[in-house]
Amino acid sequence: MNRQEEFVLRTIEERDIRFVRLWFTDVLGTLKSVAVAPAELEGAFAEGIGFDGSAIEGLMRVYEADMLAKPDPTTFQILPWRGESPGTARMFCDLLMPDGTPSVADPRHVLRRALGRAADLGFTFYTHPEIEFFLLEQQRGPRGRPVPVDDAGYFDHVPHGTGHDFRRAAITMLESMGISVEFSHHEGAPGQNEIDLRYADALSTADNIMTFRTVIKEVALTQGIYATFMPKPFSEHPGSGMHTHLSLFEGDSNAFYEPGAPYQLSKTGRQFIAGLLRHGAEIAAVTNQWVNSYKRLWGGGEAPAHLTWGHNNRSALVRVPMHKPSKGQSTRIEVRSLDSACNPYLAYAVLLGAGLKGIEEGYDLPPESEDDVWSLTDAERRAMGIKPLPASLGRALEVMEESELVAELLGEHVFDFFLRNKRQEWRDYRHEISRFELDRYLTRL
Amino acid sequence: MRGTDRTRSVAGQLARLGFDDLTRVRSLLEDPALDPLRDEAGELAPGLLAALGETADPDLALLGLVRLLEALAGTHAPDDADLDAFVAELASDGAGRARVLAVLGASSALVDHLVRHPDHWTCAARAEPQPGQRVRAELVGAVTDRGKHTPYDALRIAYRCGLLRIAALDLTAPDPLTAMPATGEALAELAEAALEAALAIAREEHGPGHEVCRLAVIGMGKTGGGELNYVSDVDVIFVAEPADGADEGEALRVGTHLATGLMRACSTPTQEGSLWPVDAALRPEGKNGPLVRTVASHRAYYERWAKTWEFQALLKAWVSAGDLDLGRRYKAEISPMVWEAAGRENFVGDVQAMRRRVEQHVPAAEASRQLKLGPGGLRDVEFSVQLLQLVHGRTDPSLRSTTTLEALGALARGGYVGRDDAAALDRDYRHLRCLEHRIQLYRLRRTHLMPESAADLRRLGRAMGHRREPATAVVADRAAISREVRRIHERLFYRPLLAAAARLTPDEVGLSPEAARARLSALGFRDPAGAMRHIEALTAGVSRRAAIQRTLLPVMLGWFADEADPDAGLLSFRRVSDELGTTHWYLKMLRDEGRAAEQLAHVLASSRLAADLLIGSPESVRVLGEPDGLTPRSREAVTARMRAAVARRDSPDDAMPAVRAIRRHELLRIVFADLTGRLDVVDVGAALSDLAAATIEVTLAVATAAVAERDGPVDADLLVVGMGSLGGGELGYSSDADVMYVLDPHPGADEAVVTTRATAVVKEMARLLSAAGPEPALTLDADLRPEGKNGPLVRSIESYRSYYERWALTWEFQALLRAAPIAGPEALAAQFRRLIEPLRWPEHGLDAKQVRDIRTLKARMEAERLPRGADPSTHVKLGRGGLTDVEWTLQLAQLCHAHDHPELRVTGTLRGLRALETCGLVPPADAESLRESWLLANRLRNAGMLWRGRPVDSIPSDLRDADGVARIIGLEPGSGAQLSEVWRRVARRARHAMDANFYQ
Repeated sequence: MNRQEEFVLRTIEERDIRFVRLWFTDVLGTLKSVAVAPAELEGAFAEGIGFDGSAIEGLMRVYEADMLAKPDPTTFQILPWRGESPGTARMFCDLLMPDGTPSVADPRHVLRRALGRAADLGFTFYTHPEIEFFLLEQQRGPRGRPVPVDDAGYFDHVPHGTGHDFRRAAITMLESMGISVEFSHHEGAPGQNEIDLRYADALSTADNIMTFRTVIKEVALTQGIYATFMPKPFSEHPGSGMHTHLSLFEGDSNAFYEPGAPYQLSKTGRQFIAGLLRHGAEIAAVTNQWVNSYKRLWGGGEAPAHLTWGHNNRSALVRVPMHKPSKGQSTRIEVRSLDSACNPYLAYAVLLGAGLKGIEEGYDLPPESEDDVWSLTDAERRAMGIKPLPASLGRALEVMEESELVAELLGEHVFDFFLRNKRQEWRDYRHEISRFELDRYLTRL
Repeated sequence: MRGTDRTRSVAGQLARLGFDDLTRVRSLLEDPALDPLRDEAGELAPGLLAALGETADPDLALLGLVRLLEALAGTHAPDDADLDAFVAELASDGAGRARVLAVLGASSALVDHLVRHPDHWTCAARAEPQPGQRVRAELVGAVTDRGKHTPYDALRIAYRCGLLRIAALDLTAPDPLTAMPATGEALAELAEAALEAALAIAREEHGPGHEVCRLAVIGMGKTGGGELNYVSDVDVIFVAEPADGADEGEALRVGTHLATGLMRACSTPTQEGSLWPVDAALRPEGKNGPLVRTVASHRAYYERWAKTWEFQALLKAWVSAGDLDLGRRYKAEISPMVWEAAGRENFVGDVQAMRRRVEQHVPAAEASRQLKLGPGGLRDVEFSVQLLQLVHGRTDPSLRSTTTLEALGALARGGYVGRDDAAALDRDYRHLRCLEHRIQLYRLRRTHLMPESAADLRRLGRAMGHRREPATAVVADRAAISREVRRIHERLFYRPLLAAAARLTPDEVGLSPEAARARLSALGFRDPAGAMRHIEALTAGVSRRAAIQRTLLPVMLGWFADEADPDAGLLSFRRVSDELGTTHWYLKMLRDEGRAAEQLAHVLASSRLAADLLIGSPESVRVLGEPDGLTPRSREAVTARMRAAVARRDSPDDAMPAVRAIRRHELLRIVFADLTGRLDVVDVGAALSDLAAATIEVTLAVATAAVAERDGPVDADLLVVGMGSLGGGELGYSSDADVMYVLDPHPGADEAVVTTRATAVVKEMARLLSAAGPEPALTLDADLRPEGKNGPLVRSIESYRSYYERWALTWEFQALLRAAPIAGPEALAAQFRRLIEPLRWPEHGLDAKQVRDIRTLKARMEAERLPRGADPSTHVKLGRGGLTDVEWTLQLAQLCHAHDHPELRVTGTLRGLRALETCGLVPPADAESLRESWLLANRLRNAGMLWRGRPVDSIPSDLRDADGVARIIGLEPGSGAQLSEVWRRVARRARHAMDANFYQ
């Protein structure tokens, strides 16, 4: 760790870095940034930088003194879009109380705590997200509707290379920040893209997702377009999910792998999935935290709205993907409910927590569902014991509120704040008169 | 017959000599292997048996001798030269024989070695102290010129020969305690020699090219300190530099390779066993850091990132092997930093955390046998000495020794520690180390536990020089020493502070004022200058008082330092002592009454309330010395004492201070008992309620008499009804006493006059109980009466009846649930109970409207009652899941169901909750959640009041306050930041239960 700090200070000297941005994330998953001069950094490593947390969502003061942001030197990166020299760099921070104990309001700490619990059981937790998002024109279309950049269907639109340029620029920038990616243009919807981040431990992945969202938005701006991670911008197109592959390792060996078992899935793997399914509804408000998230979940297609699992079943909440039998280390499971606008720290913490609960309590895995869940009738689903995810944010909050597990995973402070904040969002939403209502009722009624 | 006699006498002789298993010994004595030691008559060489009897374990020594002789006979050396020489040595009474036998009788592991390498008997027999240089040359020679052995084996064999030499000298030393430091040093030098030899092996393994790297091995821990055990990990740090002209990267790569090779050469088990694990975890960044670093890299690390404990570890750094010039450069660069560590910002907090860790990590099952860890163990001595070195070595270079005993001596010479204390501790430390050495020597195992079996204890006792009842004696010795060492903090840390304050013996060097302040602040005092003044004031002069304080204070300072607010503890102690200094029982109690002083120190440094109460009536400290002083007195006993006090005085204004003084005294008793863990929150509630009731009862009599004297007789009975937590018997330290008054005019009295006089009595009561003065007030709050603040203070039964029938609102019936008459005639009390029974436990429960009223009122209170700025999630009384939530849930159920379920007819919340559960009106899990919250909320409110001396209804938002409160409710020191999470979790569950059972 400390060699890292040394490295950071040296790099700052060598690369003529004039500002270092200290990044942290609020409870809702919004990136926050405090800029400090390199001279302050040494002190920041030793003691942290004081700031008034009360101004930031979910960090309201629990104690009177200011909080401290302590940079994590392993996350040091130069920000490529801020120009070469003099440059700007960033580091993620842990938030601390004045006495040096971790702040209960820090999402990064929530994830660290969950990872610590996994470590106590001998596990390390790896994640591999596939992040979807839309690229849109800056000008909105008729009736304020968003306009995808590459929808050839739009009559006036001269086809140009926006998409290509964007991809090249984004990849260059991401890789220069040490985030290696796999890019794919998603055919699901016009303007939709998907980028896969490489396998990494959950904390690095979460940091990378935060960086990634920023980079994508920055690059889009330079191209005169904008990027959105909104879960469901178009009712007629699929939404933006963040399917994430999860695996647990015990030392060097994959704890989900058992040769000869069905899908090479070990008992640990089965119990982990069982935990995700049993607690899926409780954690939904965290994995899918916006009003809009539930429009994606219940929008049909490949979005998983039911608590099922399957092998290559694209309507299931948890999918056990195929892989070569020889590659035992790559056994993993894919959770498909997450959307690209979640707070990755909290979302990974609750997924891990739910899965570990399954392992600790030895849950039995319900039978695999082979059908497309959407094609079943309600009665069939009832008969098969398939339960739905909450239908709305409001419902998800009601379920979460009853959950001892989520309270424990998030900590009482974050749990309480999250519920209050999201209830307000739900109230605000209900207050709104939607286009649907105007179109349907205004003239008719 | 003769044969039997002879047998008996031989057996007696053997037993007298110290042999244990006589049958076995006799058969061993007849072993043919011993033949070379017999004369023609078949008798063993003269004195041999007695010499065996001198060893720690004669049985073991004899067995070893037989085995060694067999091995020597089997070696077929030319002409049995070895055997002959050995026999000659053993046959003559001399130092050689004593050394060999001592080893055989103390270490079965070394016997095993000798059996494998019989010629090594000379290592023991001809043992002489050797300079480190020579040991080093021998071991390096052994691995380079190694004959048929592999390098690893050669190293192990040569090392064991060295071990034999050291053990032989150690075991035959006239006084093992005197020899202890030399033994430790010899063992460290042998380890260093082995490191050197292992490095030679590593270089050889690496082959050409190793020259590009200069590698130094820095000994740490006991190796660096020159005070090693027989069996221990050897702690090291590696320093590497490129040789002239070599590339640094390449040099570091080679250095890493060499270091790994060295570690392997020491720790890999071969047929000759292994030496010990080489542990390089003390290096910068610990296990995650690179194995070797350059001097500059070390320096950069320690300059920027090192923790206090790392500097403490560096105290022991010593150039042990490899490139000595490089090692010396490392020392020269790093050492100055060690001495600056005490000036670092977190030094105090780090040290306290380290101290707690030292004391904690002992498995409870082993604690009583641990020589190393735990209070009074070796680690405690070493840690304490090191801490003082860090604190004072900054300004005084004479303290910078790597060796514990040398440092202790230097501390004494410099006046940092009393000479006598240092001498005693020196002796104790040597003794514990000797025990450890002998225990380890037996099997050459790394252990720090006193053995348990009789045979092991017997051997150990004999090895320590006990001949009579060795097993019992060694255990008793050890217990006495541990008891003494347990007072180490007092001796090393605190006693010298007094010497500094008093400057009693000008000729002896003492702690300078600066040094004293540095030490106090290292121990956690925030205002060292103030603390020094208090110490001075307490101990100055030649009075008996000062003399006693001088012996007391060193211990008490340690107890203050253990608590959340040492400064306040010391200050309060001074104030109490100033008041009581001349009273004979006070000092006597502190000195003689076992735990009284300790309890006083802990209480004063953890509770402002206790300090405030005690300052007003210092003599109450007495309760600490009384046999059952910390048992709350019954209401009857308190009432009787107060009555007697009143009877001795003429006027109410004279009588009341006496009553209130008794109340304060009893209050202090409860506070002391609470803080020393004798009472739980329920006991405290009951005790406080009884005390309040007794006080009110007596005050009622005083006030009645006063009014009668002033205005004329009060021709009526008056009843005081306890409401709220008083009625429930669950009062807290910060609660007001909620009351109502019932009047019953005597037949024929003029009701208007009686009412006026009764009102005067009630007002007089309130005045008497809250009048300004040194005693804490008891506030009477009658706002729950009919018509609240606007209603008359006293009413007759009839008046209550007509009010409740006509006007009362549902919440007033709810308030009656906790009504319990506490003072006044029983007949009137019974009448009142009959009156309210159908009101609070109505026959058909509540109707829908009443239920709705209560729920609505509660909902409105949640929105409005909370004080401005308070956070509903941390307010333990009115916040979510707090006291009010729990109590209203119970009370609504009581109003609805108490008629049908008589178990619910109780005024106490806790009993009510239990009844609610047993009646099946609330699911057990919900009842548990409600109970847990109610208990925690009350504990927090009480703890808040204890800590700050003022009511605390929210989780404190100041971290220090939160820490103080958290400690009182039993959390670990330093968990202030957790307190709000702890409360929120409990409150959330309670709120759930409340939502499910109150609003639905």
